[in-house]
Amino acid sequence: MAEVSKGIAEKWGLVVDQDRCTGCNACVVACSMENNVPFTGEDNVAFGRGTYWIYNKRMWEGAYPEVAPAFQPVMCQQCGSAPCEPVCPTFAAVHSEEEQINLQIYNRCIGTRYCANNCPYHARQFNFQDPDIPEPMNSYLNPDVTIRRRGVMEKCTFCVQRIVAGRQTASAEDRPLRDGEVTPACVAACPSGALVFGDLSDPSSRVSQMAQNERQYKLMDELGTRPKVTYLKGGGRNGG
Amino acid sequence: MSDKITRRNFLKIAGAGAAISAVLTGCGPMSRYIVRRPYTEMPEYNQTGLNTYYASTCRECAAGCGIIVRTKEGRAITIEGNPQHPLNRGRLCARGITAQQGLYNPDRVFGPIFQARGDTGRQARTSWDEAIPLVSEALKSPAGQIAFLLGTAPDHLYDLVTEWTRSIGAPAPLRYSALASFEGRSTLQEAANRTFGKPALPYFDLANAEVVFSFGANFLETWLSPVSYSAAYGDMRQARPTRRGYLVAFEARQSLTAGNADEWIPIKPGSEGLVALALARLVAEARGEATPAAARSIDPATVAETAGIEPAKLTELARLFAASEHSLAIPGGSAIGQHEGLAIAQAILQLNVQVNNLGLPGGVFLTNSEQPTTSLTEVKSLVQKMNDSQVKVLFIHAANPVFELPKVLGFEEALAKVPLVISFATFPDETAMLSDYILPDHSPLESFGYQRMLAAADRPVYSSIQPVVAPLYDTRATADVLLAAAAAAGSPLPYTDEVDFVQQMIVPLISAGGFYTAPEIQTFWSRWLQYGGWWVTEQGLDAEIAAGSSRPATFSGPAALEEDKQFYLVVFPTQLGDGAGANRPWLQEMPDPMTTLTWNTWVEVNPETADKLGIHDDDVVRVTTPYGALEASVYRYPAIRPDTIAIPFGQGHTALGRWAEGRGANPAALLPAAVNEAGDLAFGDVIASIALTGKRRPLARVENREGVYGEH
Repeated sequence: MAEVSKGIAEKWGLVVDQDRCTGCNACVVACSMENNVPFTGEDNVAFGRGTYWIYNKRMWEGAYPEVAPAFQPVMCQQCGSAPCEPVCPTFAAVHSEEEQINLQIYNRCIGTRYCANNCPYHARQFNFQDPDIPEPMNSYLNPDVTIRRRGVMEKCTFCVQRIVAGRQTASAEDRPLRDGEVTPACVAACPSGALVFGDLSDPSSRVSQMAQNERQYKLMDELGTRPKVTYLKGGGRNGG
Repeated sequence: MSDKITRRNFLKIAGAGAAISAVLTGCGPMSRYIVRRPYTEMPEYNQTGLNTYYASTCRECAAGCGIIVRTKEGRAITIEGNPQHPLNRGRLCARGITAQQGLYNPDRVFGPIFQARGDTGRQARTSWDEAIPLVSEALKSPAGQIAFLLGTAPDHLYDLVTEWTRSIGAPAPLRYSALASFEGRSTLQEAANRTFGKPALPYFDLANAEVVFSFGANFLETWLSPVSYSAAYGDMRQARPTRRGYLVAFEARQSLTAGNADEWIPIKPGSEGLVALALARLVAEARGEATPAAARSIDPATVAETAGIEPAKLTELARLFAASEHSLAIPGGSAIGQHEGLAIAQAILQLNVQVNNLGLPGGVFLTNSEQPTTSLTEVKSLVQKMNDSQVKVLFIHAANPVFELPKVLGFEEALAKVPLVISFATFPDETAMLSDYILPDHSPLESFGYQRMLAAADRPVYSSIQPVVAPLYDTRATADVLLAAAAAAGSPLPYTDEVDFVQQMIVPLISAGGFYTAPEIQTFWSRWLQYGGWWVTEQGLDAEIAAGSSRPATFSGPAALEEDKQFYLVVFPTQLGDGAGANRPWLQEMPDPMTTLTWNTWVEVNPETADKLGIHDDDVVRVTTPYGALEASVYRYPAIRPDTIAIPFGQGHTALGRWAEGRGANPAALLPAAVNEAGDLAFGDVIASIALTGKRRPLARVENREGVYGEH
């Protein structure tokens, strides 16, 4: 819903530089390993039930021989005015006041999937099954992130556990959070440095600076969702 | 550093170390010196509720990226790049990120096994007490009849085995990986040798280049060192405020790199050398220089026609290349893994000589790294020796030749003629299943070691490997097994164990001018583990490259095809690497970047060709080459020449655990055993035919699902 403003400083945002992005999908895997996103197997992926909190939208442009893919990594846009939130009958899709992001309260979710229907970004993923992770592979599961059961909707959280951990470290050391101190898993992995994360409320942060770039645009901005993810158009054939 | 360190100075140094990296620890779960402490004093690596981070090196491919593994309560949780490592600077690819799925894979080998070549009736668990005398007996065989086949990682085991074989006069260990074959590493090194007079892998300074011509080099996905080249690619695009690098890719099938290029020029496979020579001629014309000797007899218009592109395009590109101050030409795997691959690689490297970029920013440098594989020629002679019953004992570590080598090479049949095959595999892969014994090594995250042959390092680097968790099973470090067995066999090496060996190997680094030093090895060792290796602070590669003269070359050009019956075949590696990644479920589930396909093998066919042949998406076709055949579903791929088909490598396992087995097809069945002049597999100019089988099997794709719902 509408952004709550109580003088809270944080406003996390992400910039995706499509000119740097190669479409290698390292972000997809890094996210899955950090957030305990289950692998679902061949049949489920074929049925469209694969779970990817971040996915690379690959669109073919042009015709042979001038054909090329345009890659666009899409994750939850953490809308300031999120279409998923008002439709949830159990208030499982909520807006966090502190981080200004969209969160999913898994134990409220009853699996109506209204939120996914209403999300224009395909960012919400539904658990059609319980995760099947045989022992001892469950050993690598991240203890900071809940494991979701069947019938529960899940989505990108900007790695909120890392934001919280960063904030706690800073507060223990009695200092403000430094720019670049918190990196979600996708940003940390990105081999070509296409993803930049930070606090948009700080005009001097790298992410704020980059979001002012003349190549910037927001995904489906016309819907009035006020996304916190900013894309920078690719150069050359990707529309620079 | 002086021998006397005052207490004040010591605190300063210790404080500085803590400030640089407060979380990385130098001692870990495999510390050799065990001290009993009360339970209330928890060890550093096991503070309940707190993360402990270890720096190590990724062993999923030969690149050698530095990693930081986050552990909690003795479990490896997440893996990220090591921000201080000069190769990957904190970045990591999908393969490195999923390494825990190898460590915690339920299908690992749990302890030493008498495998009996797959004879289930005789199989039995054995113990290390029995295994070591067995290895020891094997090492007593006549020196000429012992063979070692190792993988591209880790380097320390290779160094140890090399030292041992040298000491008793046995043949040097061979190293093989299908990935290295597809990368054309031997060819690249030999081409550098002939062009620049030094047998080293060249380093291409992509980040500072302005116009880059890639000939089949898929450096964003698998080639040489994808993480470091991806970072350089990002910088080439956007790190300079006023200049954006321009990438042109010449290859028949659009790889991820070509997909990201500004221009993709789909030339016929086999025409790369001709195109390079034609460009050489046109570049010389544009720069007003004399035509290089090799290109004098070349007519660019004819070449363009042969390669299947517009002559005007070739001229335009040559002008672009000639006009830029920072032009770079990169010879990659599919271009140089051909019969004439060595000459092709030389012709492409020669373009760099022509624009004088040697040793300059945005140009070509020579690394200090040797390349970590032996050529396929040597593997072939090993197979020949095995067939002639000249090999009595074969040791295999971190390689899966039964899966990776072209089937026509007959490795599996030759293996049957070796009286004793001992595998050190951590997984029951195809080769291990056909061995007499499996004596499992620790998984990479449980091991000590180092990687020193880093193909894309811009400075001298040794990257350290250390255990991040205590070994889960009854496995044992192969280096320890060999050292103990060699001692018992009466040919000991002067090392007590693996750690002692690694320590002695890095002693010269103490005074080699790295970014840290120490008065003695134990202190040096703890920093070596803490930082994840040793390197020098300043970037520095040999800028003194002597350009050799261009050798006149003649290329036979692409083979003629029978239209719509015969096709050029491109076999390309994916995120599964040499196939060892197929048992990592997240690598299987990760969509292939270009097709978004998962969990299977597919055949890429241009939609135009598919329409002519009446092939629809997901139709199963039979692909036949003179060497073999396979069946797989078709993916109509718009970015491939209509006269070319392509198949990814890595699937088609008959072993290797639940996620890998019985999935897809192995294109090793389609490949020849032929090699080029440098001894690399000539896989780039194979001709295949396809035929419909009448079967249909939908592929699991992440893109638009039209055609899949309701038809499954």
